[in-house]
Amino acid sequence: MILVEHLTKYYGEYPAVRDISFEVPKGRVVGFLGPNGAGKSTTMRILAGFLTASSGRAWIAGKDVFSDPIEVRRRIGYMPENCPLYPELRVEEYLRFRAGLKGLGWWTRRKRIDFVVERCWLRDVRRQLIGTLSKGYRQRVGLADALLADPPVLILDEPTAGLDPSQIRETRKLIRELGREHTMLLSTHILSEVEMTCDSVIIINQGQVVEDGTLADVRKKHRNQNLEEIFVRLTGQEGI
Amino acid sequence: MMRPLLSLIRREFTAYFLSPIAYVTLAVFLLVTGHLFYLTLNALTESGPRGAEYPMQLLLGDEKFWLVFLFIPPLLTMRLLAEERGTGTLELLLTAPIRDWQVVAGKYIACFMFYVVLWLPTLAYVPILTNLDWQTWEAGIDPWPVLTSYLGAMLAGAMFLAIGLFVSSLVRSQLVAAMIALVVSLVFVAAAFWRPDLTSGTRISQIIYVISVPEHFRHDFTRGMIDTRPLVLYLSMTVFSLFLTVRSLEARRLRA
Repeated sequence: MILVEHLTKYYGEYPAVRDISFEVPKGRVVGFLGPNGAGKSTTMRILAGFLTASSGRAWIAGKDVFSDPIEVRRRIGYMPENCPLYPELRVEEYLRFRAGLKGLGWWTRRKRIDFVVERCWLRDVRRQLIGTLSKGYRQRVGLADALLADPPVLILDEPTAGLDPSQIRETRKLIRELGREHTMLLSTHILSEVEMTCDSVIIINQGQVVEDGTLADVRKKHRNQNLEEIFVRLTGQEGI
Repeated sequence: MMRPLLSLIRREFTAYFLSPIAYVTLAVFLLVTGHLFYLTLNALTESGPRGAEYPMQLLLGDEKFWLVFLFIPPLLTMRLLAEERGTGTLELLLTAPIRDWQVVAGKYIACFMFYVVLWLPTLAYVPILTNLDWQTWEAGIDPWPVLTSYLGAMLAGAMFLAIGLFVSSLVRSQLVAAMIALVVSLVFVAAAFWRPDLTSGTRISQIIYVISVPEHFRHDFTRGMIDTRPLVLYLSMTVFSLFLTVRSLEARRLRA
């Protein structure tokens, strides 16, 4: 479903992503891990079509990200880091605007908005201004937006960052449910979350893939250590 | 195909009314045009040999109008892209299935629509300025200066708005966007104010005439004439600025 080959991205002289390749099969929920600045967000932004790679290729649902960007963006629900939103709009207005932007017709628009509002537990705040929402609700609005066009692929950049424990638990539950219908690539720093929600992991460090496989395989390969031990060892952050 | 574009236009147009900027610009614009209308009315009704040959020229033909008008397009365009870049919502907009030219077109059409709304109330002055006879619907004074003035105002505005939109695509801060757009627009307005020092017909005064918008109004539009030179300037600057804006969005994807 997601196929990345030799992707490289330079910011000026600095290579943020260096020649990474990986594949996410259909229906799989993949945790995208790595220390801050490892290139997670950059990779996700390239896949979502916000940035152009310096070299390499990528396909989403069989469509080339660089030569067919509009078709690719139709097939992705993307939630950027920190979940930027328009504070002056109401939740419903915002979703209506986004649904139009994604090309949904009048009737499907209404149906899908009702659906995502229910799905992401937004019914109570439907008429509320986004600027007055708490972080947890804003995150859910972002997720609702990603789900609007019912895309086969979801790319979520730190969907649980800045949430309190009960909100993290709710979001996690939602992600697990969504994983049944969507192929998902999600980045996070909470390793226990990966163990609970993901089928497999991709760990990147300094712009390169250092580990890629199902959770069970990765554990076995590293003699049944927990994910945290593996993460620290692979990214060489111990003692810092 | 057009659905994303219409959705964006709708959102951008209504966004004006969700911020105080719209109401402030509307109020200031009406205050200034209203005052100029009052002055014009005085000139028109004055007895004796003095008076106004071209009422529209008193309204739109001199510094009084242009020094205020100068501020309006930058205020309308400053938030269009700079705000989205500042808050990060540009990332959401550019990852939606909408082409870059549609993003630029949507934002530009929305701000132009608001600009038209700004001018609508001034239509109330038109019956007086043309000395309209309410029984026969015939203008007592030649109505062409009014029509050409509005045509000029729309096209000159289109140029200033396009310049402002381009500037807004370059920076993150709305304030900086407004300031730079103001300075660039100033080139097209302030050139006219050098005219007292210049004898007409010299090479330099001809060049200044080509780029100075108030001169186009004083000389042509408010007197019922349509000169193609200003039209070419306005349209080519508009198209060029919009083209640069699309390019600037594309360049954004290559950088960070």
